Amino acid sequence: MTQTAMNTAGMAEKISIRNLKFFYGDNLALKTINLPLYEKKVTAFIGPSGCGKSTLLRVLNRMYDLYPRQHAEGEVMFDGQNVLDPNQDRNMLRARVGMVFQKPTPFPMSIYENIAFGIRLYENLSRSEMDGRVEAALTRGALWKEVKDKLNSSGLSLSGGQQQRLCIARTIAVRPEVVLLDEPCSALDPISTAKIEELIDELTTEYTIAIVTHNMQQAARVSDYTAFMYLGELIEFDETTKIFTSPSDKRTQDYITGRFG
Amino acid sequence: MSEHIVTRYDEELNDVARRIAEMGGMAERLVDVAVGSLMRVDTATAKTVIADDKKLDILQRECEERAIMIIARRQPMAMDLREVIGVQRIASDLERIGDLAKNIAKRVMALDGQFQSKRFNTGVEHMAQLSLAQLKDVLDAYATRDVEQAYQVWKRDEEIDAMYTSLFRELLTYMMEDPRNITFCTHLLFCAKNIERIGDHATNIAETVHYVVTGQVLAEDRPKQDESSSTAVAYEKN
Amino acid sequence: MASTLGNPTSLGNSAVSSPTAQAIYRRRRRGNTVLLSLSIGATIFGLAWLVLILGALLYQGFSGLSLAVFTEMTPPPGSSGGLLNAIWGSLIMTFGGVIIGTPVGILAGTYLSEYGRGNKLSTVVRFINDILLAAPSIVIGLFVYEVVVVRMGHFSAFAGMAALAILVIPVVVRTTEDMLNLVPNQLREAAAALGLPRSIMIRHVAYKAAMSGIVTGVLLAIARVSGETAPLLFTALNNQFWSADLNAPMSSLPVTIFQFALSPYPDWQKLAWTGALLITFTVLALNIVARAFLSPKAQK
Repeated sequence: MTQTAMNTAGMAEKISIRNLKFFYGDNLALKTINLPLYEKKVTAFIGPSGCGKSTLLRVLNRMYDLYPRQHAEGEVMFDGQNVLDPNQDRNMLRARVGMVFQKPTPFPMSIYENIAFGIRLYENLSRSEMDGRVEAALTRGALWKEVKDKLNSSGLSLSGGQQQRLCIARTIAVRPEVVLLDEPCSALDPISTAKIEELIDELTTEYTIAIVTHNMQQAARVSDYTAFMYLGELIEFDETTKIFTSPSDKRTQDYITGRFG
Repeated sequence: MSEHIVTRYDEELNDVARRIAEMGGMAERLVDVAVGSLMRVDTATAKTVIADDKKLDILQRECEERAIMIIARRQPMAMDLREVIGVQRIASDLERIGDLAKNIAKRVMALDGQFQSKRFNTGVEHMAQLSLAQLKDVLDAYATRDVEQAYQVWKRDEEIDAMYTSLFRELLTYMMEDPRNITFCTHLLFCAKNIERIGDHATNIAETVHYVVTGQVLAEDRPKQDESSSTAVAYEKN
Repeated sequence: MASTLGNPTSLGNSAVSSPTAQAIYRRRRRGNTVLLSLSIGATIFGLAWLVLILGALLYQGFSGLSLAVFTEMTPPPGSSGGLLNAIWGSLIMTFGGVIIGTPVGILAGTYLSEYGRGNKLSTVVRFINDILLAAPSIVIGLFVYEVVVVRMGHFSAFAGMAALAILVIPVVVRTTEDMLNLVPNQLREAAAALGLPRSIMIRHVAYKAAMSGIVTGVLLAIARVSGETAPLLFTALNNQFWSADLNAPMSSLPVTIFQFALSPYPDWQKLAWTGALLITFTVLALNIVARAFLSPKAQK
């Protein structure tokens, strides 16, 4: 991997990925990845389809555990704990490392319940406290104004962009520390995309964010750091402005300029 | 103008526009101070101009970097794209204006102790005032996005050109009168040329403002009055 | 393009306008006409029988429909009466069968879809379930006869319920599994991403998303068993009189229809037609309700 000298003084690593390997069965999908995710920064993962960027994201909250025959080796240190530790409580981990998916996935229940559902799992709140939390989460998700008069209608009645913001609100309602976004805008129109990007920008005041995107312009817009991956390898990791103005590796250059052979 | 959904984008655009305003003020002051030091052949003041030009260069580099960053990260479109392109062009015009002011200041150092006469100065001073007024107007036009004002600046440049042509003849005449004037008048002539070019940069900025606001390139031919390149003064024996 | 517009008599010089292309196109259109007529013919043929059946049923059954059908017991031959005990018996046994069969079916379907995906046990269970789904109901009737009726020594409503339950289970297992499989995996991942344990995810997310489909499956199962004669013939037998004793033989509509229709008495035959009409319309109503549940509007 290429990495130029970066000014990382005073930057805390929220998650440190060390020598991470990932297997689908016997198939090696990630080849020894080493990467930091800096606290309260946005790190974008770009690369052609199948380069392993989504796989990497799904390691961070052990989403791959839902499926048999997938396993990871190496270390993913998260606040001093190894996420890959077999004894790691996955549900607790996922409550701390939230995830938003490509397609909006509101639960088949009311808007209010979509938010309250996750909170109720770990906290006992009174009705009014819960109302406050739901409002706070929806406000943070830039959705409150649009839905405050129809909290009891189904989450599925919202538009695609609103559904995705509902999912983000739902994720941050349980107060995670890290938010993983797996191509959150690929199913959305440009205006909804811009709203989500604005939201991501606002969320960095509190959360460490990792975003996988097919759209490198989006990576350029929203992220502070960018990692370029290719064929399961991390090719280059640097500040976003550096990656998009003068990348060090020729493969990065070829990819972001649309010359990929 | 309505705001972008992504507020940081607006902040970045406002930031570069603010930097251009800052650069403009600094360029105006540099020209003003440089011409002042020339009139009084004040080397101490001239030195401050040379030092300040460095700051202007740094500002220009920053503007440039920020504009590139906006293009790379925000992929500006339509008026935003013109805005960013405008920032780059104006920044480089202002930086050139700073260089020209510095060149005048350097000539002041060279003139120190040379024979000189106040009567030579009036033409240059007048021209400098006109150029400065042009610069001020065009920066106002940029700040208020006033196409009409920019267009006026653009039209008015011919006055400076005409003035330069006559100044050229005048200084040539002084040099013929008395060879001791030659050093001073030559430097003065170069200063006049610098001032004329400051006017040209002001018109460039006017064109940029027009483009940024309307999206159209000012296509008509600008009236030109600079005939110095075809001017000769016959040497007559008195 | 311009030449085509300029010369309206020709189609221009594209490949489509060549004589060969025109010939091929004409042939295809002829083929299309022939096949379309055949399809329409087949549809009419099939529908005609359905219309005839429903017509006969309405004609024969409607005339016998009266309040007495719902208020009086099945009569001895030659006297007037109704179908009250048969309707009651059908309701009781169908209800019982569904009550027993539905939870088993839903739980088994849930296992197949949520926990046993791809493992051996679920493959075997799914295979057996498919066989059960296709098994003739008379076989199931005989099975329950052997296992329950013979052991108990007499026919009973319980045995009827057991037979119907066995018919309900495979239908519910199948629809539950299918409907849960239709729940997008992303929804499961989204729930897991919030830190929800799997059991809560299934109960609160997967079931909610699949609810209308599962309800539809249960309704279709009811529709299926409410018309079954064979399994009841061997288990609940029949009863000419009112009976609320689940441990005794019980009357049911299908069996009564079977018995009355084969009898030589016209008034019994008339009641058989009326009973058939009742069952048909119950099944029809259940299907309509099931469809309403599955409609996109109900999904919201």
